[in-house]
Amino acid sequence: MTSTTPHPSQPTSVPVLRRILVYGAFLAVGIMVIGAIVGGLVAGASGVVSALIGTVMAVVFMGITAGSILLANRFAGSEAAIGAFFGIVMGGWLVKFVVFLALMFLLRGQPWIQPVVLLLSIIAGVIGSLVVDVVVVMKSRMPYASDVTLPKAPSDD
Amino acid sequence: MDATTVLAAINGNIATVGYGLAAIGPAIGVGIVVGKTIEGVARQPELAGRLQVLMYIGIAFTEALAFIGIAVGFIFV
Repeated sequence: MTSTTPHPSQPTSVPVLRRILVYGAFLAVGIMVIGAIVGGLVAGASGVVSALIGTVMAVVFMGITAGSILLANRFAGSEAAIGAFFGIVMGGWLVKFVVFLALMFLLRGQPWIQPVVLLLSIIAGVIGSLVVDVVVVMKSRMPYASDVTLPKAPSDD
Repeated sequence: MDATTVLAAINGNIATVGYGLAAIGPAIGVGIVVGKTIEGVARQPELAGRLQVLMYIGIAFTEALAFIGIAVGFIFV
């Protein structure tokens, strides 16, 4: 776990977003295990594969947003900070949805995919990661005034 | 051939329209979330960290609808 006091040039959102990603990964493992068991009972091997793919897709695609904000925060304090931030976050969002559509096109109609199990595990992963996001943000403690760099005191010499 | 016949002759998968519809709502929603975050950061730059986290929550909830909508469109065709 990283320290809770961020680097001075970093926004205070960095540790919160990191925690969201870590807890999201734990949640993904849990949903994958439950989904694989239920999918295996309902639909056999194809159910297990569908549950694993669906959960990984949901959690990875939901996590890309937090990851893109973390990546964009590396540009904090630079000249092009605002442009780079929204370029990376919105660009990542766009690319994510194109990849998601392409994956759904590829997966549709495959004989080793059980569509209902895939859909249900995607929904479980999406809702689960939303719950993790809200819980982490509710438990996070962030100062009201942050990211402030005070001017240096004048020297006396 | 009258207009009704032409309309009735349009073929293809209606789910294709659904993908577009599933994209419109979240696109508007995320646009509003990001635009308001820019407004907030422009007014109070020292709140950028907090606003980023709130923006993230807003984007996550909005895009959840998009994921579920697109997946449903693909699965139930």
